[in-house]
Amino acid sequence: MTRSRLVAYVLTLWTVLTLNFVLPRLLPGDPLNTLFDRDTPGYVADESVRTRLAMYYGLDRPATQQYLDYLRETLRGNLGWSISLNRPVAELIRDHLPWTLLLTLTALALASLVGVLVGAEAAWRRGSGLDRALVAASIIASNVPVYVLGTFLLIGFAVHLAPQWLPMAGGRTPFARYGSLVAMAQDIAVHLFLPVTTLALHLVGAKLLLVRNSMVSILGEDFMLIARAKGLREVTLKRNHALRNAVLPFVAQLGSQMGLAITGAVFVETTFDYPGMGRLILNAVGSRDYPVIQSVFLIVAFVVLTSNLVADLINARLDPRVGAP
Amino acid sequence: MNEEQAIASGPYAPHTPVTSSVRGTFIEGEAILGLVLLGVFVAVAILAPWISPYDPHALSGKPLERPTFSHWLGTNDVGQDILSELVYGARISLIVALGASTCTVALGAIIGSLAGYVGGWLDNILMRAVDVLLTLPRLPLLILLGAFMGVGVAQVVAIISLLFWPVTARTIRAQTQSLRRRGYVRMAHLFGGGTGYVLGHHILPALAPLIVCELVIAASRAVVLEAGLAFLGIGDPAAKSWGLMMRFALNLPGLLLGDRWLWWLIPPAVCLTMLILALTFIGIGLEKQWQPRLR
Repeated sequence: MTRSRLVAYVLTLWTVLTLNFVLPRLLPGDPLNTLFDRDTPGYVADESVRTRLAMYYGLDRPATQQYLDYLRETLRGNLGWSISLNRPVAELIRDHLPWTLLLTLTALALASLVGVLVGAEAAWRRGSGLDRALVAASIIASNVPVYVLGTFLLIGFAVHLAPQWLPMAGGRTPFARYGSLVAMAQDIAVHLFLPVTTLALHLVGAKLLLVRNSMVSILGEDFMLIARAKGLREVTLKRNHALRNAVLPFVAQLGSQMGLAITGAVFVETTFDYPGMGRLILNAVGSRDYPVIQSVFLIVAFVVLTSNLVADLINARLDPRVGAP
Repeated sequence: MNEEQAIASGPYAPHTPVTSSVRGTFIEGEAILGLVLLGVFVAVAILAPWISPYDPHALSGKPLERPTFSHWLGTNDVGQDILSELVYGARISLIVALGASTCTVALGAIIGSLAGYVGGWLDNILMRAVDVLLTLPRLPLLILLGAFMGVGVAQVVAIISLLFWPVTARTIRAQTQSLRRRGYVRMAHLFGGGTGYVLGHHILPALAPLIVCELVIAASRAVVLEAGLAFLGIGDPAAKSWGLMMRFALNLPGLLLGDRWLWWLIPPAVCLTMLILALTFIGIGLEKQWQPRLR
């Protein structure tokens, strides 16, 4: 089990790396086209200069050699050079990734906590008005596009209800100098509030429904009847017997949630102009900065795949049935 | 429960069992609500040239007019009628939904039923590919593909279909595997029915309800993605979709500080949400009817 997981992980990572190498090469033309085209300002007349440039960029080598070079450099952490910003791509990633991780992980944690607690309560009172309302709200909240949700929250809170508290955009106050770490944390938290709320609302519906449904089926099990017959208190029944088992499928899903959360984060970052990976890749698309676009895809894929793997391994530990061959 | 339902849920039920014990915890008749809503959007999209007051690309008024009797929702920053943009926007969403859901489900159904029915090494290879595609983060891949392939309506349809068929394929494969063990399918095989024959005459017809469900789910996903790409600014800049309208509105400096968002930003957001909810409701209704166990 563990070994096949690891093999799948390496295989998928390799696919991502290869996709990144192959995609640009499927297009007609090559990066040096403009040097050979008489009609462009970049035209280089001297044949030997063109050959030397091709040699410099390694474009004269066979594709297999280029592929191996690419794999070696990428694995060393060399992600290339941003064309539009004239900086190493790795530096850009270092500046943007923490914001996205802060946003996604906070939202995931919040959505999981609320989803488990409220989902369990809904299952406990299944069929009641509260349950129906929660199920309906979850279905609607998880189907409304996250950017629509964000726009409504932005208008509602940052513009009308609490404009003095909640900023409309950005990750922190521009040009701010902080007197202390606490002041900095406070500034970041205030800017994080609406983006995290949006993303958590977007994610919580599916979690709530999952926990509710698995808890409803647990409540029908024989061991619940026996536990009840023993005269256990309601709270013990709910927490120690039902919820504990109902949470297992939820934990199993946690790993695959990272991809969904990061997709949501890209939209949320655009809505609130938050300085994460979403903004980085979209700016790069605007300026046709291919090395940045490819690297963001690579890094996001790496983060998502690794968290999937970690979640799977943890899950195999928690639930012996999963780890069994 | 009327007599017909009683028969349908009784022991003599046809081969799609409908258990009446699963009563809705959600609004009853949500599928009808969804169908009515969808019908309205389809009608608007088809009748767009007749019901929209102006050509959405024509400069029919002064820039940033407030709502008046000649421009019910005012005009945008270059003087195009917002109501007309909204009416024509339904076309783009629905065309992408139709195209992408058809291609996604066609690919998924063919690959899924082949893998499920033939099994063996073919199944192994196809399902490994599905696993890999399912674990990739799709939005960054979508952006990457869009950056290289371009983002006209046709490309958006192609990219969405290429990235999302594995979701359908996995469901179809599971159902095919259970169908393969049924008596009549094995019988057809034993009487010498080839793979193509059995798939075409027995498996695919039995998969029809599931395929309809998958179509609706894929359509809803395509609407969200198309509008999302336009909202992110990587859609077709010439195709005036609801997502692009939202983007243009939000790009106007100070939009949220006045009241312009009321008639420029909110209408496309509401239309988009209504269309997605309509598809979601239809999907839930269909699932309840055909796959009661999924609930």
